[in-house]
Amino acid sequence: MQIYLPIAEMPVDPFIIVMMGGAVGFLSGMFGVGGGFLMTPLLIFYGIPPAVAVGTEASQIVASSVSGVLAHLKRQTVDFLMGGFLVLGGAAGALVGILIFRYLREIGQVEILISLSYVVFLGLIGALMLTESLRTLLRSPDAKPRRRRHRSVGWMAAMPFAMRFRRSQLYISPIPPIILGFLVGVLAAIMGVGGGFIMVPAMLYILKLPTNIVVGTSLFQIIFVTAITTVLHATANQTVDIVLSLLLLSGGVIGAQLGARAGVKLKAEHLRALLALIVLAVCARLLVGLVAAPSSLFIMEAF
Amino acid sequence: MKLALAALFLMWAVSAAGAADIAIALTDERVEVDTGFAGAHLTLFGAVTGVENPAETIDIISVIRGPASKFRIRRLEKKNLIWAPGDTHIIEGAPGLYLTNATRPITDIATLPDQASYRLGANFIEFTADKAAEAASGIAAEPAHNELYKNAFLTEIEYQGLYQDRVGGVSFKKGALFSIKVDLPATTPVGIYSVAVYLYRDGVLLGQDSAALNVNKVGVERGIYDLAHQQPVSYGILCVVLSLLAGWVASLAFRK
Repeated sequence: MQIYLPIAEMPVDPFIIVMMGGAVGFLSGMFGVGGGFLMTPLLIFYGIPPAVAVGTEASQIVASSVSGVLAHLKRQTVDFLMGGFLVLGGAAGALVGILIFRYLREIGQVEILISLSYVVFLGLIGALMLTESLRTLLRSPDAKPRRRRHRSVGWMAAMPFAMRFRRSQLYISPIPPIILGFLVGVLAAIMGVGGGFIMVPAMLYILKLPTNIVVGTSLFQIIFVTAITTVLHATANQTVDIVLSLLLLSGGVIGAQLGARAGVKLKAEHLRALLALIVLAVCARLLVGLVAAPSSLFIMEAF
Repeated sequence: MKLALAALFLMWAVSAAGAADIAIALTDERVEVDTGFAGAHLTLFGAVTGVENPAETIDIISVIRGPASKFRIRRLEKKNLIWAPGDTHIIEGAPGLYLTNATRPITDIATLPDQASYRLGANFIEFTADKAAEAASGIAAEPAHNELYKNAFLTEIEYQGLYQDRVGGVSFKKGALFSIKVDLPATTPVGIYSVAVYLYRDGVLLGQDSAALNVNKVGVERGIYDLAHQQPVSYGILCVVLSLLAGWVASLAFRK
């Protein structure tokens, strides 16, 4: 059986697409990550045009973030003021990202940009996660855990417009969150990701938000920025395929449930090492695609 | 003298009444691209008149030409470590689909001038492959350089199955009737197609006929495509609303 995708303008096997959604959903449920950074490369490997993969993935992240956002709203673990500044920066970043994307698409270099940014970010994040989890795994069990440093945010409080973020118990300027939101917004638009894999560590280690607030606030930012990105991609590039997005989602929700159940059976360090290996494998596959001699020297597309 | 004239007249009359000709009709004059579209089978029906034993003496060539499309083509060049696409060349004037069917290899059926003037075969299609920047500025490009891109375009599009020169698919029925089976690939472009058939005997064109075919997106397929291209902002907002709704329904379904 085949389904013809209206925007990608190609027939696909719906079962394979649902299975792909399920597999990535399983991993994201297991590891508690968004999964956009795995889904977009998978779609490209399947043969979906990279620009459509990125635009469609934005809308799929909106859908798959809903349940997380609702859960965190109920638990009151979202800092709305902080989230608001992140969204503000994110919206501007998404706009800039879309403009870059559109320009590079016109001159035919957008595939290279997508692949390169994936190789760089997946390589960096994967290597960092792997070394950290290996260090944790190899450390002797009786060694003292490193004491968490005092939350020194003086330099951010010294910047202009410093204000109190009550839920995060922070007194800092809104400029760093706006800049962080902006950078993640650019990445979201170009790579078709939510950007949680950058947002969460940055909020923890740079902005020094309390751990319990980080995930909820990051999700709050992601759902707004990916929604904006979806509308921008649809407007500027016509690359959001809603049929593809809903197919992925139907597999994704089931996969996420199964993954979450499988995840509780594994130790956190093992999980992180496993995720690092998957990330590095995807990175390696993309790198091979860039470096290896192509089977055909020409690329051709209708427009 | 009279007798000779009469004989001549008779010969003329016979040949006039039996002037070899060909006519075709399509089983479907429209092909609908819907959600389940995975290519289409097309059957051309035709009749040959004025030829005895058509199955043994004549040749038929059919040419299906899709709507004129534009393509971008780029050559991958090794820059440092990675293979990156170079300058864009724009292919203009080439049809989005080009399928020929013939009873024998076309080179055996038709003369070279005929092949060129009736565009029998992908090699005879006329199109340009100018560099994007030059096409815009109107500066004439280097012909030899563009030839490379033209050849590459034909190779690529044949590989994708959009251009095919096929021997076979023509079957003769009782007497003067014949049919040609053609498969349109799933990636076939939408638009108005022209279908032409040529009747040959001993390298001489005896007759030709043509018909039009409409390939259209229909149903949900068309609705989504049109909305996305004509009202992209509304479509984008609709995508977000649908995603939110779908995500919400999913979260309800799995609530503990």
